[in-house]
Amino acid sequence: MAKENAQNLIETSDYIGHHLVNLTFGWCEKTSSWGFANHQQELFKGLDSACKVSEMGFWSFHLDTIFMSILLGAVVFGFFGLINKAAKKGVPGKLQNFAEFVHEFIASAVNSGYHGTSKIVGPLAFASCLWIISWNLMDLLPVEMASFFGHFGGGFNYFKILPTADLNAPLALAIVVMILVTYYSVKTHGAGGFLKELFIVPLGPLEFISYVSKHVALALRLYGNLFAGEMIFILIAIMFGQFAMSFSQTLWFLPGLILNLSWALFHILIVALQAYIFMMLTIAYLNLASTKH
Amino acid sequence: MNINATFFAELLAFCIFVFITYRYIWPSMENLLEDRRKEISDGLEAASQSQRKLEDANKESATILDGAKAEASSLINQANSRADQIVDEAKEQAVEEAKKIKLSAEADIEQSANKAKDGIREEVAALVIAGAQKILDKEINAKANKDIIDSLIKKI
Repeated sequence: MAKENAQNLIETSDYIGHHLVNLTFGWCEKTSSWGFANHQQELFKGLDSACKVSEMGFWSFHLDTIFMSILLGAVVFGFFGLINKAAKKGVPGKLQNFAEFVHEFIASAVNSGYHGTSKIVGPLAFASCLWIISWNLMDLLPVEMASFFGHFGGGFNYFKILPTADLNAPLALAIVVMILVTYYSVKTHGAGGFLKELFIVPLGPLEFISYVSKHVALALRLYGNLFAGEMIFILIAIMFGQFAMSFSQTLWFLPGLILNLSWALFHILIVALQAYIFMMLTIAYLNLASTKH
Repeated sequence: MNINATFFAELLAFCIFVFITYRYIWPSMENLLEDRRKEISDGLEAASQSQRKLEDANKESATILDGAKAEASSLINQANSRADQIVDEAKEQAVEEAKKIKLSAEADIEQSANKAKDGIREEVAALVIAGAQKILDKEINAKANKDIIDSLIKKI
């Protein structure tokens, strides 16, 4: 009995671990070569390296994150680009109506929150909000789906479908925001004024700490929320999956389904809300940076 | 939580998508909406203007209609009075004409009566002459004279 429990625990942690590992392609120190992390894929046998994911250094790429984020971006921005290209001035069609609604929603947020003159804030808010929403929506797909299709469709044993649950992606967005905030702060207050604000006025270097942490928090907030949401989906899947296996009763599928559905319904809120928060904070930070105060 | 080179890929991808939005999506939609806003406000302005015009036209048409009504009623009154006048004149004329006709008729009657009297007189005279001749022819027979005279008297 105890042994069985221990066995279950190992399986559980394996399962969770499996779902938290990205499909990684990187530089392996041991063999001094580029390749996929060990045992991650069967499709390109020759590219399998001797390193595990944990043994790879900084120079590795999460191919699943990159692939999914660019695919989603291409779909979302291609969709809006095509609609805009076909847009008419007269009575709009349904798709155009939707695109206009989204645009007006974001434009009104920008207009009410940002009082500077920069032309990049609107596009930045638009791009970040829609891209993040498209990422987050991947969280609503069943947790096993990506692995299933990755394994049987492409021979990939590891595939994380949710780019937001990989800190690299939200951090990249936050760093772009940080660079722009720095640029507009320097532009508005001058380099000296900006440094003075960071290190001297009014509370010394505390301002610098808040400056760095607010941008890191921008990334971590998004990452944390979606990572936690994904985690709960995984836990629900484990709990009822194990019950079903140990009792040989597929009826356990049902409460799992109900729990999963209710968490998914609640999660829709987080999906949209986190994207909205990211966008609003971006606008607010840029507003602070480009207005004199 | 492993930060690695994925970060750079994501950074690059985000910059590209922001650029695409900046170049192709945001301004075209902004222009489209601005144009439509303008069009709608122009349309509303035109509508309110035409509303005003309509009101003006309504007022104008009402005044014109009132004027026309007044004119028409005055015309009708004039016509009525004129008609009365014409009728009166006609009546007077008719009465006069009737008098004239009557007078001339009376004159005619008198004339023809006179003519008839003259005719009778001539005839009587002729008869008398004829009678006298006959009497002169048959003087001897008194009885016969008497008959002739009787017959004369009867003729008269």
